[in-house]
Amino acid sequence: MAEEVKEIPKSEWALQRYLYTRDISSAPVINLLLKQVDVIYQPRDEKEVIEVLRIAEKEGATVVPRGAGTSGYGGVLPPKDIALFRLSKRKTIMIDFTRMDNFEIDEEKQIVACSPGAVWWDIEKELNKKDLTLRVYPTSAPSSTVAGWIAQNGYGVGSLKYGGIADNVEKIRVVDFNGVREIEGKDLKYYVGMEGITGLITKAWVKVKEMEDMKYYGFHVSAKEANKIVFAGEHYAGLFLDAGYVKLKNEAFGTEMPEKDVLMIATTEKLDGDESLGEEIWEKRFYPMRVRRLGPGLVAAENVLPAESIPAYLNRLNKMIKKPHGSEIWYSKGKKGAVLTFIPSDERKFIGYTMTWLNSIRALKTAKRMRGVPYSTGFYLSSEAKLLLGSDYAELREFKRQVDPKNQLNPGKVFPTGALPLAMRIAQKVIP
Amino acid sequence: MKLEKELNDMVTACAQCFYCRVCPAFQTLKWESVSPRGRVYMLKGLLKKKIKLEPQLVEDFYKCTTCGACEEQCQTALKLVELWEAARHEFVKEGLAPLAVHKKLRELAQKTDNPYGEPKEKREEWIKGYKYEDKAEIMYFAGCTGSFRAVELAKNTVDLFNKAGLKFAYAGKDEYCCGSPFLRTGQRDLAYELFKKNYNEWKKRGVKTIVSSCAGCYRTILIDYPKIAKELGLEWNFEVMHTSQLVNKLIKEGKITPQKLTAKVTYHDPCHLGRHTKVYEEPREVIKAIGAELVEMERNRGESFCCGSGGGVKSQFKDLAGAIGKNRIEEAKETGAEYLISCCPFCKYHLKQMAEEQGIPIKVVDLVEVVNNLAVKGEYKGNDIRCA
Repeated sequence: MAEEVKEIPKSEWALQRYLYTRDISSAPVINLLLKQVDVIYQPRDEKEVIEVLRIAEKEGATVVPRGAGTSGYGGVLPPKDIALFRLSKRKTIMIDFTRMDNFEIDEEKQIVACSPGAVWWDIEKELNKKDLTLRVYPTSAPSSTVAGWIAQNGYGVGSLKYGGIADNVEKIRVVDFNGVREIEGKDLKYYVGMEGITGLITKAWVKVKEMEDMKYYGFHVSAKEANKIVFAGEHYAGLFLDAGYVKLKNEAFGTEMPEKDVLMIATTEKLDGDESLGEEIWEKRFYPMRVRRLGPGLVAAENVLPAESIPAYLNRLNKMIKKPHGSEIWYSKGKKGAVLTFIPSDERKFIGYTMTWLNSIRALKTAKRMRGVPYSTGFYLSSEAKLLLGSDYAELREFKRQVDPKNQLNPGKVFPTGALPLAMRIAQKVIP
Repeated sequence: MKLEKELNDMVTACAQCFYCRVCPAFQTLKWESVSPRGRVYMLKGLLKKKIKLEPQLVEDFYKCTTCGACEEQCQTALKLVELWEAARHEFVKEGLAPLAVHKKLRELAQKTDNPYGEPKEKREEWIKGYKYEDKAEIMYFAGCTGSFRAVELAKNTVDLFNKAGLKFAYAGKDEYCCGSPFLRTGQRDLAYELFKKNYNEWKKRGVKTIVSSCAGCYRTILIDYPKIAKELGLEWNFEVMHTSQLVNKLIKEGKITPQKLTAKVTYHDPCHLGRHTKVYEEPREVIKAIGAELVEMERNRGESFCCGSGGGVKSQFKDLAGAIGKNRIEEAKETGAEYLISCCPFCKYHLKQMAEEQGIPIKVVDLVEVVNNLAVKGEYKGNDIRCA
């Protein structure tokens, strides 16, 4: 058995550990609460994932699963392991799913069975060859992975019609210290959006659909008017860019879009909108962070709000944030919208960047006042778990205790532990 | 380590979004240390002094063919190839590069003006029997690979020029390496020396247009040389063409009327000709002009997959170059094409080798070879060179 373990690709090289201890976020100060992973394994199949868990169990190590590391909530970052007010010496193993990236399309059932590291856009390209397409996918689809997005319970393109990824997963297979489980139906809630703290996804069956003749329309309307258009029909996707964001985009892309609020609708219906404008916005949907060039660096805030609250929320942000900024909104089923706000800021200037970063806390406070919730918890926002998980909170926490009594699976994520959640709560009270 | 402000800004602007995962080195080796975003993060760490510059870091940093696939996908539109080359130059300054083989190439080029270490006199041997001038407005730049390793490409090129009645000059033993291998591997000083030698020769011979049949030389002369000239305070007013562009022009002008090639072909975009200099359509227009059935590989034009041999990878990391090349040759095989056409002697040589190793019976040829042979005989059999 020991020989088999050696065969699993792994690295303990200091540089590699440095490179794997990150996601797309660049939060000031908070990184003091993080440690480096001790070893990275790249299993090639489920058997090897189980083997790595066996090693973790034997060594009493914590396990951090990682897809492409393209989220910004710290879900793949290892926090310093604090036990009884002292730093624990638990080793941290990272499982990088890069090598488990295959998938299989069932045309008849319109299901794609994916390994955890399968990349959304790779899947989409293959589906298109069979006249099929994903129902929903993230705006980071060119690189983000299936299990990564499921573990974060993401919303994205197509969510207006089909909901979040939770609504589009038929079944998943997970492994934990007790073995392998196949999960479907209402039990999916124990894993979807749980950042791997209750088990590691090794396979997911994702619903897909037939390709349709999609049209893209642009409308120069306010956020309030946008709500009426977005929810008036059975549209596939809706993306709103406020004037501030259009201005930033123009600067970053070198384009000359009219610098006013604009809505893009992707639909099979015929609408009275500007098709070339709609197509221009659609084509750039994977590039929301181009504006990062302007800092260079970026502070972002992402909150999900009821659609009716969004116009007031945007107004409030515009009054509150003094630096150039802008927001984009992907609408979703249930009359909601995920509002992603961008504030370019030079990351190398510590004080200025930190002060700008406080705006993301202000945005969260504002969203909460308007019945909004953060997009995800991850590591940074575990303080908001009760809000995000709602009535399932206690049950999910109990489930975590049952399946992972020693808190080895991605500790510090989703549920509040350690100093950060307390600090975040205090920050929300103190920051005006 | 320090980087110029523009490059430092680039490092900070990287979103770490990983759209650059298309990188052939990452696709092959699967570790962040060989991925483009990993390299940017390394540079960020070095600039902030969070990590130390060490030989193994430098070695992984060189596992990059500088193919530019990362740049094509980059969410923040960073000029990543420029960044890789600048960083390599810094590693050279810090004494941790060039790597062993790249250093050897430098030593050879310093002695012989070519990285193969071939005697200078041998450079012009291939052109015996062809008509050319000492001085003319058009200069044919055969390059080191064309002169010493892929002579069939140089021969076919000038043979075709002769048939088209094109008056051109050739510098013979006074042609020098363009410096590409040294620019790509961070050894700028030597590239500058080679630039000066070529530049003086071209000025002396009254050259207005430089034509290269090597994608690497073409990229270097088109993109790097004007920058070097500016740095050195020299005037730069040369037009630079790749042979595929010139051949396309000659066909359109009716100066070459090749016969038809009744075969299914696929085209491999060399990184230096495609992504680096955006020459995508001219070679395809030539292929269409000879009547061949062009079947594209899945990854083509800006999304083309590198052959694996560029950026000093083939010389220093043979296994990596081989794995990348095999991936590409498999993709070519899937098209069902009889011929794999390219426009770079490096790509051709490497892909041909990979096809042979894999036992894939696809004929790997250069576009100029095909056109020239069709212009001679009205047919192309693929393996032999039929020059005048």
